[in-house]
Amino acid sequence: MNTVNHVLLASHGTDGALAAERATLKLCTKGAKLHHLIVVPTLWKDMTGDDWLNNGSTRDKYRRYLESELGREVNEHCDRINKEAEAHGLEYTSEIVLGEPDECLIKTSKKAGFDLIVMGSPRPKGKKGLRSRMSTKNLPGSLDTPLLIVPYPNE
Amino acid sequence: MVYTKKSPALLIIGVIMLAIWGLAESGMLASYIDHLGGKKYKYGGEIATIPLYFGVVATLVGLWQLFGSHKEGHWDYYSSSIAGGMFILLIAMLVRWFIAPEVAVWSMSMGKIGDTGKYIHKLLGLNYVVMGIVTGIIIVNVFRVPSWAENGVRLSRLGLKTGVILLGTLYSAAELKNLGGLSIIMIGFFVLGSVGLVLWLGARRNIPNSMGGVLSAGMGVCGVSATVAAAPVVQAKSVEIAYTIGTILLWGVGCMFIFPIVGHLFDMGPVQFGAWAGTGILNSAQVAGAALAFQPDGIETLKVAEIFNITRVLVLPIIVIWLAVWYVQREGTADTASVNVGRVIFEKFPVFVLGFILMFALSTTGIFAPPNHYKGKYFDNTKVKASKILTDEQIAVLQTNADKVQRDDRKAALARLMEGRKVASIEDDTTLRGLANSKVMGKKAGKILKKAHKAVRHTAKKVKAFRQWITWLFAFGLVGLGMQITIRSMKQAGGQPAVIGGIVGLIKAVASLVVVLLLISETI
Repeated sequence: MNTVNHVLLASHGTDGALAAERATLKLCTKGAKLHHLIVVPTLWKDMTGDDWLNNGSTRDKYRRYLESELGREVNEHCDRINKEAEAHGLEYTSEIVLGEPDECLIKTSKKAGFDLIVMGSPRPKGKKGLRSRMSTKNLPGSLDTPLLIVPYPNE
Repeated sequence: MVYTKKSPALLIIGVIMLAIWGLAESGMLASYIDHLGGKKYKYGGEIATIPLYFGVVATLVGLWQLFGSHKEGHWDYYSSSIAGGMFILLIAMLVRWFIAPEVAVWSMSMGKIGDTGKYIHKLLGLNYVVMGIVTGIIIVNVFRVPSWAENGVRLSRLGLKTGVILLGTLYSAAELKNLGGLSIIMIGFFVLGSVGLVLWLGARRNIPNSMGGVLSAGMGVCGVSATVAAAPVVQAKSVEIAYTIGTILLWGVGCMFIFPIVGHLFDMGPVQFGAWAGTGILNSAQVAGAALAFQPDGIETLKVAEIFNITRVLVLPIIVIWLAVWYVQREGTADTASVNVGRVIFEKFPVFVLGFILMFALSTTGIFAPPNHYKGKYFDNTKVKASKILTDEQIAVLQTNADKVQRDDRKAALARLMEGRKVASIEDDTTLRGLANSKVMGKKAGKILKKAHKAVRHTAKKVKAFRQWITWLFAFGLVGLGMQITIRSMKQAGGQPAVIGGIVGLIKAVASLVVVLLLISETI
């Protein structure tokens, strides 16, 4: 029952998000629009910690390196989904924003008339990965679009 | 982009500072200051001046920021940092003058803790430094740093670096030589040891070379600063950086609280504790914090700890070069000749250390204190107060124990002391200090010798002022650094870095404690 024509996919490459990607590709009709939202969490702004010994040029070099590293990871992720979307005959667009994931999702969801928002489940405790869980408690009251939270994949 | 915010925040900060000064000057704070210790309250002099000067500056600049017009440019950028800087300063003032003394009053009302013979605030190191850092951590994690203060919070680095530069005025040549030698041995052994151990453990646990490289720098050299310097060189992945920084911050903050408690339990002196904190604490920011937490009312521990910090940061370019060569060899990505040694050293060299050396060189010329000063104090036996001249009773104690002295130079210096009732020369002072430290004459005579030493040592006015500036610069810097320690970055501690970091951090802390307790005396 593929009836979704315009879907907003929130994915940043974790196992939960990969399950959301697979579900999105199954749900979309051929020719549907897939808008991919990637949120770079603001926690990366804190990743110079309390460094005080380095000089400005070392800190700048580090910041540029970290930005390029995050950018490379995001590009790889977008390229992969783009290829899969094309293979499924979907029209792919992407959006990369810096901020709190829940706030960014709410904001983006209001920009266009999406039929459905798809996201993955939070990572279960004990699983590897960054501790940057998205808070979902504000989503139900703030979204005007149906939200599908895809269950975390069983290994 | 215009950085200066049209916010009333700086004006309000200025008014609060002026209010503190006004309340203190008018005597309205008198009863509260009595409650905080009365005559024992040490900050009366500071409250009478510091909030007035900074309050006037904050109020005037605050009025201009709120009602003036601002244009893009360098001045706009610098001006945007004033509000944040004053915000940190106000917090440091409130914590140092009111909150920490209030906690001390509360702690003393509870009595001493068990067999330790210490009050809880002394035992836990709950002084203005620790509480200032904790306040910074609470502000950033509970309320977030306000946007008008963001640029100014970065000034905390400048505060700490300026503090280290001024610290250069307080070392004697002998002290710097001895502490420098000790720190090179300790840091050399423990830095190389922990870098090697992380790389070895990393290989055993099959972690990627990039992760091993960034983790070894962070664990081995100076924590977050080394991670920042090494991450691009070993091409660390973003998640590896996050794991490493999270682990180091968590360890560092934990150590800052635990080290002073352990130091007090072992009854360590400033040299021992400074050497231990300077070696065993992973993150350099917390080294200064722990040193001031251990000895908040003096800077002897800070002086030792900062020599270790300086040695660490001087080692950093060498470790970065080592890791760069190690990484390209392991990954086979390029020829090791592609590592530009000169450029790495130039880029990573800590310029503020040159300032420290310059201030030390200036102090040896006698510009701040006579050149023969020791620990900021100079010898002058013409200024000895009448109350400090040795009494007949004290001379008798020295006479009774004089036959215990074996060395001829000590015998002669002691004889001159007893004859003149005060130390005769700087050479005698050095000899008698050695005699007191050797404890051969017993406790009572030792105390008299130390009293005689103190009577001929005077703190130069400029050095006294430097001490106060240094205390404030470090308090300011550490409150600001507290505002850069977020729980969400500490929460990233995990993965292999947490395991390897935990093992290496613990070994480093315990092994350096053992070395310090066994091999380092307080008489450097």
